[in-house]
Amino acid sequence: MNDPKSIYVKNAFYLAVLTILEVGVTYLSISQTGQIVLLLAFASTKMMLVAWIYMHLRYETKILKRILFIPIPAGILYTIALMYDIPFRWVI
Amino acid sequence: MTTNQTFALPANDPFGKATNGKLGMWLLIIVDGLSFAGLLIAGVALRVSSETWPAVGEILNIPLTAFNTFLLICTSFTMVMALNSIQKGDQTGLKRFLILTMSGGLVFLGIQVYEYTHFITNDPVFIPSTSIYAGIFYVTTCFHGLHVLSGVIYIACILRMAGLGAYSANNWDHVEILGLFWHFVDLVWILVFTVIYLI
Repeated sequence: MNDPKSIYVKNAFYLAVLTILEVGVTYLSISQTGQIVLLLAFASTKMMLVAWIYMHLRYETKILKRILFIPIPAGILYTIALMYDIPFRWVI
Repeated sequence: MTTNQTFALPANDPFGKATNGKLGMWLLIIVDGLSFAGLLIAGVALRVSSETWPAVGEILNIPLTAFNTFLLICTSFTMVMALNSIQKGDQTGLKRFLILTMSGGLVFLGIQVYEYTHFITNDPVFIPSTSIYAGIFYVTTCFHGLHVLSGVIYIACILRMAGLGAYSANNWDHVEILGLFWHFVDLVWILVFTVIYLI
């Protein structure tokens, strides 16, 4: 897992570019949903780059990767469930 | 009863060559990640159910925080370079990159303190009790800031050990574990920056 320095430099460059793009998206005159989708896509890509390259996740075993990734869809489902609950908050 | 028993891992160990320390750090990362997820999900739920919400950049300083994000990315680079150096047996490189990472973390915290001070002394004040938005902002960013502070202290401890020559090309496990924590702090900030500042 002793990667060449160039991989880390390239990764830092991609992360910086994605950060600039993220800030740029907030100035775009597109719908809020479009902005949120783009911002979450950029953020997810950045997080994957950090985990995959800097945390060397690609060298870990399959089971460890599964343990790390399984909570993510659970969190997304939980968020969606909460969104559905919100319209009913004044019913009681 | 026998003592000094050694327990060999099975040949098909599901975690490969990962040490106990490294697995422990991954476990901490999962648990800590879920803590952050809880905060962010609560923030999103409160936002969706709230009738008013400030526009992006109306209160928070986006360019300054974007710089802070860039700074944290740079410290992730210097941290991975610290590990890369010691894997090649370069003690000086290890210390130099650890100092750079620690300095970056301190500057990040300094900017965060400046941001808080600005909000607290500004008129109108923006403090946790100002609104739900302010409460979410302070709780999440402060929780993350404490992680950065913990990371800086952790780096200082490893730096001291590096100064004593504790690490070499064959012994860099502690540096790798420290790196995992630091990169996690960076990784979480990416999401905090997006959800709290940009969305």
